[in-house]
Amino acid sequence: MLKMFIESFKNLVSEPETIKYPFSPSPEPKGYRGVIHYNEELCIFCDKCENICPPGAIKFVVVDYESGKKEYNYNPYLCIYCGACVRECPKADDGCLVQVEKRMPPLGRSVPKGKELGYFINRIENPKEVEIKWREIEEMNVKSKEEYKAYKRAKRVKKI
Amino acid sequence: MGKIIVPFGSQHIALPEPISFLFETENEIITKVEAHIGYVHRGIEKAAITKFEYTQLPYLTARVCGLCSITHAGAVVHGIEKLMDIEVNKRIDYLRMLVVELDRIHSHLLANGHVAEVVGYENLFMQTFRAREDVMDVLEAITGNRVQYDYQTIGGVARDMDSEIAEFAKKKLKKLKDNVLKVMEFHDSDYTFGLKTKGIGVISKEMAAKYNTAGPVARASGLDTDVRAEFDYLPFEEVGYKMQLRSEGDVWARNMVRFDEILNSIEMCENILNNLPEGEYKVKVKGRPKGEVVVRVEAPRGECFYYLRGSGKKVMDRVRIRVPTYANIPILKELFLGAKYSDAQAIVLSFDPCMSCTAR
Repeated sequence: MLKMFIESFKNLVSEPETIKYPFSPSPEPKGYRGVIHYNEELCIFCDKCENICPPGAIKFVVVDYESGKKEYNYNPYLCIYCGACVRECPKADDGCLVQVEKRMPPLGRSVPKGKELGYFINRIENPKEVEIKWREIEEMNVKSKEEYKAYKRAKRVKKI
Repeated sequence: MGKIIVPFGSQHIALPEPISFLFETENEIITKVEAHIGYVHRGIEKAAITKFEYTQLPYLTARVCGLCSITHAGAVVHGIEKLMDIEVNKRIDYLRMLVVELDRIHSHLLANGHVAEVVGYENLFMQTFRAREDVMDVLEAITGNRVQYDYQTIGGVARDMDSEIAEFAKKKLKKLKDNVLKVMEFHDSDYTFGLKTKGIGVISKEMAAKYNTAGPVARASGLDTDVRAEFDYLPFEEVGYKMQLRSEGDVWARNMVRFDEILNSIEMCENILNNLPEGEYKVKVKGRPKGEVVVRVEAPRGECFYYLRGSGKKVMDRVRIRVPTYANIPILKELFLGAKYSDAQAIVLSFDPCMSCTAR
């Protein structure tokens, strides 16, 4: 009984275990697995990140068949933040793909922007469109790669 | 009085999991049970052999269950490494063992907290969960996330551990041990708690062997079965693993076995942190999985079984998962017969059922 009273008194004066979220901030801890940042200048377009991504949140779309230019599309609202793409990237040590210790804000009235998030999210104005537009990107990803292959084959045939 | 059928689940205030029982009761004594599982079937086994490549499998199977995500990912990783003949070094083994044991601690604390809640001790539930927060912090510092760890990858672990995290973990584990001992002493000595849990849902050793139970349920009845001792997948004996057994076989004994295992796991984690071998945290991986393999790992709830078959392609031919809760459901049905309806909640939760594992 006496032990219980001492314990109760200790609990009365000690600090609470919980934080007052959402009235006080809940900062990301050190080493948190957050958003994936991308640097296009360092990318060698090996498609390794696209192939490993478990939910398929990274898709490359070939935009120019003449030069073979690819665009990096990343959907942070489909990403599971496992970091497999960063471990697979051959240029990760230079900073091509980096997992930063930052949370993605929830999809509300506006869409987060930034060059490091890739082309997809920067082209969207209405947050309700994210899902529909991503489906288009997935179709484009398959279609453009097939067309690019056919284009290259036709070019080779012409040369001969 | 006539017979009354009482539905229990799939949505019930005492049950965190979607499982449904139909109890036929006569004067509060249960006379017939019908169990329905499979409310959360997601087709993960089919997805694993159609949509996902073998490199993505650990991330997929980690999503089978929130509490034992490390176990499922680990089982797949061990299986694929066996198929591809990859030898990992000691440091990787030790780091994997560390997260597996930390995972066991937080899962057991959750189970014990839930039992305390359904027998009427809401405050004890909160105390248990406060203690659990420390181990969640340690796991977050090591892996970078609170629930989905994605730590084990094919040929290594996702990230290395430095001395700063090791110190942090040691400090937290010490605090955790004090808190666990405090809660455990209450379980051991409280008279009212004993009335609600002692002698309820008793499984004898013969019954446990006959129904082929797994995990803490079997060990609380004195049946010495533990995959960590039987199957060679990680060097548990090196870091001080001891099998924990109790002989009573009731709800209280199942809780106490879990507490014993928590204390043993804390000791193992401290040993690992003190003697972490030097070396790389990743090894080179080459080739594709070919052949078939059976993997058994000890999940917090018991034996988790994986069967993997590959034929040198990117996608596996067969992935079969059998989880511990599925093995424990037949005896659960048997236990209800003749028990009071008011004890049903404590009996279910002392089994620590994980339905998202069972239905997959």
